[in-house]
Amino acid sequence: MITVQHLTKSFGTQTVVSDVSFTLENGSFTALIGPNGAGKTTILSMLAGLLKPTKGTVSMEGIKDIRKEIGFLPQYPQFYPWLTGLEFIEMTAKLSGISAKDAKKEAEKVLEFVGLKDAIRKKTSQYSGGMKQRLGIAQAIVHKPKLLLLDEPVSSLDPVGRREIMNLLKQLQLDSTILYSTHILNDAEEMTDQLLFLKKGQVVEKGSLNEIREKFDVPRIRIQFAKVEEATGYASQTKWSTEVEGTVVYIHIKDHFPTMQQVMGELSNYPFTVLKIERELLTLEEIFMKVVSP
Amino acid sequence: MRTFTTLFQKELRESWRSFKFLWMPLLFIFLGISDPIMNYYMEDILNAVGNLPEGFTMTFPDYTPADILLASTGQFQSIGLIVLVILAAGMINRERQNGTALFLYVRPISFTALFFSKWAAINLLAVFSVILGYGASMYYTAILYGTVKPLLFIQMVASYCVWIFFATTIALMFSAMFKTALSITFTVILLPIGVLIQSLIGQFWNVSPWKLADYSVQLLTQSENEYYLKTLVLTIVLTVIFMIIGVLFTRKNASTVKI
Repeated sequence: MITVQHLTKSFGTQTVVSDVSFTLENGSFTALIGPNGAGKTTILSMLAGLLKPTKGTVSMEGIKDIRKEIGFLPQYPQFYPWLTGLEFIEMTAKLSGISAKDAKKEAEKVLEFVGLKDAIRKKTSQYSGGMKQRLGIAQAIVHKPKLLLLDEPVSSLDPVGRREIMNLLKQLQLDSTILYSTHILNDAEEMTDQLLFLKKGQVVEKGSLNEIREKFDVPRIRIQFAKVEEATGYASQTKWSTEVEGTVVYIHIKDHFPTMQQVMGELSNYPFTVLKIERELLTLEEIFMKVVSP
Repeated sequence: MRTFTTLFQKELRESWRSFKFLWMPLLFIFLGISDPIMNYYMEDILNAVGNLPEGFTMTFPDYTPADILLASTGQFQSIGLIVLVILAAGMINRERQNGTALFLYVRPISFTALFFSKWAAINLLAVFSVILGYGASMYYTAILYGTVKPLLFIQMVASYCVWIFFATTIALMFSAMFKTALSITFTVILLPIGVLIQSLIGQFWNVSPWKLADYSVQLLTQSENEYYLKTLVLTIVLTVIFMIIGVLFTRKNASTVKI
């Protein structure tokens, strides 16, 4: 388990991260979510030991020098253009404490795992954006760290590359605890155990997706009619409190009422053409906007 | 130690693949042979190209081999030194500025090893180039002017290399302290311009690292110089001090790496 307590970072008079505390369970997948400038990169850099916190501590159960147990992928990884992929990973493996004898073997293994098997002898200057991201992941996991820190691992990729990297991360979760920052919420929605919402350097909300959803969700039923007149006609006749937007009528749900069955029963009394009826959940994006907007 | 060998290998790969081991020695060889050849053929060159007036005679001094080697040293001290120290002045900070150093700094590495991997790489290149440069100069000097005692020649080259260590250590120290623009400025002011100042008003003091190169050549004539040893020791002591400062700043400024 990784415990972060009262983490604070100031540059001069400006406080970028203030009093951030959270814990990461072993093998969990946690997303740091927040708008640009919320302090995501600063937090990850402090966990990686690149920046010294002004205040606060980062500790890992039973481990003294946590730098040995951390893998870090920056948002814009920059590689030595004159090294090949294999040489680069071999070097980082050795620097992480893997013996010279095993380093090459481990490097080849990890490059195959991230899907760069055919490019290991190419110079990194010839790698595409997606390949660089894979190489970045390879250097972060070659020494099998307990904690994997990823700064916007998929933001710069196209949908296909994004999908592939997320699948890779899913496989990695079996061995490591993963903390990653993102502003692409679909990715977070899909596979994250814990969400940390950041705003102006502070954690404003944390919990699992379901917990946060329950807290912020305003449940409603969305009915789509064929014509605008039908929507307004229905809204004026029904006994539930409604809101009309063009051909769509929203019914607010209070204390679990009305239920879907009640609404559908009522609708069957009218001659209106209903195209679609659904119980709406807030998307993570809408929750995000609610949490981080002032 | 393993960190050092790993990083040293990386530095050598970079020097090798960017052809530094080709052009730097070539530069020093070129500088080394230019003086013996130019001086020897100066009369012929003037006769061939110059519109010298009828009856004009010029007497050329009789150079000794030591004079020629001193002239070659002057070449190394101006052009060769500038190229070498500018290279060194960007070794640590450039990696921080473009973000490549990040992958080193997130690992449990020793910053002493990091500093000395770069020190060793640049000085291997420098010593290699200096030996070839002096070798080339000596070769033509021996053919055209005469030889010097081999042992004294070796002493001179070794002594000159101590000065080169001093120069690259200062450049690396600035490289650890400042961003590239600033570190190159300071390095150029302190080293090539320092050498220039030394040659202009250097007669007012006797012990200074900037004198070491000239004193090294004087070893050839075997004239007793009571200041040589003091200068040598001072240079070595300052080099060690600058190394320590360099390592400290390499560690301190690690957090300035572009993330």
